[in-house]
Amino acid sequence: MDQASNNDPVDVLIIGAGASGAAVAWSLTDTRMRILCLEQGDWTSSSDYPTNGKNWEAQQTGAYSINPNVRGLDTDYPINNDASPIDVVNYNGVGGSTILYAAHFPRLHPSDFKVKTHDGVADDWPVDYETLDPYFAENDRMMGVSGLAGDPMYPPKQPPLPPLPIGLVGETMARGYDKLGWHWWPSDSAIISQPYEGRDKCLNLGPCSSGCAQGGKSSTDITYWPQAIRSGVELRTRCRVREITLNDDGMADGVIYYDKDGRECFQKAEVVIMACNGVGTPRILLNSKSAQFPDGLANSSGLVGKNLMFHPVSVVQGVFEERLDSHKGPLGCCILSKEFYETGKDRDFVRGYNMQIVRGSGPLTTAMQGHASGTIPWGPGHHEAFRKRFDHVASIANLCEDLPEECNTVTLDPELTDSNGIPAPKITYRVSENSRKMLAHGLARGREVMEAAGATEIIETELVRPAGWHLLGTARMGNDPKTSVVNAWGRSHDVKNLFIVDGSIFVTSGGVNPTSTIQALALYIADTMKKNLANLFD
Amino acid sequence: MTNDKFATDHLLSSTQQKCLSALLDTIMPAAEDGSMPSAGKMDFLGFILAQAENFMPALVQILDQLDEKFANDPLAARVARLEDFARADKKAFNRLLVRVYDCYYQDDQVRVLIGIKPGPPFPQGNTVEPGDLSLLDAVVERGQGYRR
Repeated sequence: MDQASNNDPVDVLIIGAGASGAAVAWSLTDTRMRILCLEQGDWTSSSDYPTNGKNWEAQQTGAYSINPNVRGLDTDYPINNDASPIDVVNYNGVGGSTILYAAHFPRLHPSDFKVKTHDGVADDWPVDYETLDPYFAENDRMMGVSGLAGDPMYPPKQPPLPPLPIGLVGETMARGYDKLGWHWWPSDSAIISQPYEGRDKCLNLGPCSSGCAQGGKSSTDITYWPQAIRSGVELRTRCRVREITLNDDGMADGVIYYDKDGRECFQKAEVVIMACNGVGTPRILLNSKSAQFPDGLANSSGLVGKNLMFHPVSVVQGVFEERLDSHKGPLGCCILSKEFYETGKDRDFVRGYNMQIVRGSGPLTTAMQGHASGTIPWGPGHHEAFRKRFDHVASIANLCEDLPEECNTVTLDPELTDSNGIPAPKITYRVSENSRKMLAHGLARGREVMEAAGATEIIETELVRPAGWHLLGTARMGNDPKTSVVNAWGRSHDVKNLFIVDGSIFVTSGGVNPTSTIQALALYIADTMKKNLANLFD
Repeated sequence: MTNDKFATDHLLSSTQQKCLSALLDTIMPAAEDGSMPSAGKMDFLGFILAQAENFMPALVQILDQLDEKFANDPLAARVARLEDFARADKKAFNRLLVRVYDCYYQDDQVRVLIGIKPGPPFPQGNTVEPGDLSLLDAVVERGQGYRR
């Protein structure tokens, strides 16, 4: 094993440079500790993103696909999704999945932290909304979040920037919601609507999910990381961690990783923080077996890799006679509705879902999706059908709360490996009966909204397969070591100098995109660590 | 769109060129009202060589399944022939289709005709209407909707 000269021991080792790794690294710079982050991917360059070229749509199905199995880069690890109706999607690199995310940035609601109390299902979180509120606000400032204060579905909050333009798509759908007397509000978006902190504002390019060439989208490579690095954090790319090692006292003492040349290296550390998302984190823990932890590190509860939650998504697309300029503006950031977010006594399911209004696609995607759905033929008739749909559509993505079930798991695939020979994750997942009822409810309500908004044609998708962005619950937090992996501030119950700050610590999923909450939690955990430095391992 | 249709004609035989032209005009004929050109007006071969070179062998394979009769058939007959091909090898047909569409909708004149700016999205960007936020008045009037 190579002990490179720059592998001097560090105080804090962070694994993963995505949403949570960036936030925790930046926050801990206050401590003046030596902090190192190992990231398996590279830096990306805004000049390489697809929207710099005319072929941007084709690139979304190749090197900039949201699906790592399609990208197939050395910096990615393959994922076996065969036993799941939902494919995991992600990005591996500095910024993690914020590079390709849509930047829809709602917070979890206060009730999301108390689902057992409110609805008698799953468990309450060991932290609550009020505790996280200042960290949400700090994260909004650091990332650069646009939105409109006053949403009656949340306690008071003030996004630092005014909302993004909702456009003809948003206004058309808003009129539909108003007609029904249902809630809607401009989305909180991690996209800057005005120049902010040296970054220029969003240009409404459209396809945020292939990287933002303008830099208007708040990915952590251009928000947290520059500040963290200026404050002394070392970020080492193309370094893929294989396992976390233990010393004789049962404390983590470092990691074994492969560098960019494939050399096996050891990095010693006093504290290890995992920020690898709800699939990457259990993968490394399960691969870190020892005599003390034969079933994987920090896994005395047996819950590492269990309780995997996605957000199952159904979609209702409406076609309108009038042109909506659908291809303009951030694809996933327009307006949302929380009308069915909280549990309703008149429904046959518990918990609820967020209705996210999604703008339209570019011409190639429109044509190919039309081909797949049989609505836009090739040959004679193509132009007329295309003209009716392109720039004439709006969609509702019903993002459903997924309750934890131990049968939904991340395990190590017995055969599939990444380019370094590390076992790949295998996803075993089923959509629960509760989620299915919620998906169906969302389709029916979505149809009502579309009709109220004036859609002339409505197309439904019962379950979107490439929708596994939100990877949650696989190392859940809690006060009881028997029923949770980490405590209320992200510290492993089993290994006192091992922390987890990514989505795997979620107790329940809520019904909204989780990045804002993941980062608020990471900041909260970092702050709690700072307050407890003197007795961090007690 | 270009008048010099196939700058790279030498890569294909005369029959293959005729078949390619007919194939493209079958997948995307010109609009009946003349408002949209056919895909055959695009430099498809140049596009493939520049952006999807690894598709070239598959394209040649498809063209070799066609003949001069296909090139000379009326549109309806060509459509029927391609429908047979699409049924027999859906994957290969879809691979062809996505490249034809990609080439077509990257064309600047086509982009203008469908109402979008020529060229790549960046750095031009787009202007989006702010929308009427007074529509929120009714939402606010209904009051708090969250649980603590």
